[in-house]
Amino acid sequence: MNKQKHSMQPIPSHDEAVRQDFVTDFRAFLTDELYPKITPYYKSRIEPEFIKEHGRTPEDKMEVQNVMVQDSAYQSWSFLQRISQQMMFTSVIDTVERTLEDLIKKTKEYSTLGSLELDPAIQIPRYLTAYDIHQQPGGYHMENTKNDISAGVVYDISLPIYSNDAMGDENDLLAQATINFIKNNINTMPKKILDMGCYIGNSTLPYVRAFPESEVHGIDVAAPGLRYAHARANALNASVHFSQQNAESMSFESNTFDIVTSCLFLHETSHAAIPKIINECARILKPGGWMIHLDVYPFQRSVVEPLYDFLKDWEVTNNNEDFSGALREMDLQGIFEEAGFSKETIEFTSAEASSETNKGYTGDFYLKLPVYVAQKMA
Amino acid sequence: MAKKIILPRVAKGKNLVYLDDNSVDNILAMVMTLTQEISVLTDRLNTIEHLIAKNGQIDLDDIDNFEPDYQLQEKRSERRKSLLKRVLLPIEKALDSK
Repeated sequence: MNKQKHSMQPIPSHDEAVRQDFVTDFRAFLTDELYPKITPYYKSRIEPEFIKEHGRTPEDKMEVQNVMVQDSAYQSWSFLQRISQQMMFTSVIDTVERTLEDLIKKTKEYSTLGSLELDPAIQIPRYLTAYDIHQQPGGYHMENTKNDISAGVVYDISLPIYSNDAMGDENDLLAQATINFIKNNINTMPKKILDMGCYIGNSTLPYVRAFPESEVHGIDVAAPGLRYAHARANALNASVHFSQQNAESMSFESNTFDIVTSCLFLHETSHAAIPKIINECARILKPGGWMIHLDVYPFQRSVVEPLYDFLKDWEVTNNNEDFSGALREMDLQGIFEEAGFSKETIEFTSAEASSETNKGYTGDFYLKLPVYVAQKMA
Repeated sequence: MAKKIILPRVAKGKNLVYLDDNSVDNILAMVMTLTQEISVLTDRLNTIEHLIAKNGQIDLDDIDNFEPDYQLQEKRSERRKSLLKRVLLPIEKALDSK
């Protein structure tokens, strides 16, 4: 059964394919059938008990959490949600393991466009080695064999399962949102673009397509992702220059790029890393160049309602996303100003994309995600 | 032949307990994996039925090359959802209780 979207992806066997299909339907079942029951359940069962005991409703997310983790109905949903992610990975790893040798050989054929520069001496930051982000076994950086690409392949073929096919054939709907934002709000014809934390380049390639005159670079610390990214870009006929670098300290010369961007990258770093990364963005941008990061909602703590706050951070606790909760509370405005971005250009706004206008997207999927935008002083 | 490459299948991270203890969590995880395997068997059987109905016989390679059309995929998806609904009924009921 052919789930292959480009020639660097493996073809699953019959049983592997339907095993993966089950995970897609399992996740849809959790989202569509069980998740909507949680808020009514909380309102009718959990909150009244809390009021009886404390004479008031819970004040914050922590108070909600304390009662919810004691409740077996909620915990059952939460556990199912957690293992659906584990089942997603185990069901695609079978396919990757079986086909890996051939795929690694194939990377040699797919290497003419763009470039790939690896740095065997690079130190993988602790925020990526302490635990496996998103529960991907081995994390994004693990080398299981020579010239390994397995973690990159696993990531590429699990994304459609994770997103219920909403991300498109090239897994690029998120970057489409950033590009829509750039085209609608920033008057620029970028000559050089950098995507930080690019991993397999699924959010990097859309820049090649949207700005065909530009030179597009992608950096990441994880070699298995970059090797795969380069072969994948070739399979999709796109030229990108990939290099293995840490965004906290890059080898690019100052004043090089017109646009520096990232996609769901900042929340995978750390408190200490964020100011360094932002300083580096300011350094390598040309005067007047733009920084645009698509990421989680900032400054959300004081708002809405404790149950919503609690549920919104589900992935932080349950899907190995420790820093994404903390990122929301950082003073990004201050960090951007300190790094040399013009105060009046700093914006925390949102970017939108819709699946109907692009090929390869199933159904009508609309997406609105936060972007952090700032312009380097001219 | 080179040594077979083995990829890791368990993620590193905190050991979280969701239900009464780790063994209850493990049992639920195993139930879901068994449910998944029932679904795999059902789909495989369905593929074989389609191949026989069409060709009157089975060539083993045909199974891996079989591509269900959109309608059949939807039908299978519906059947998986009804399997999930039956298996997870106790949890759904618990979340419904007034």
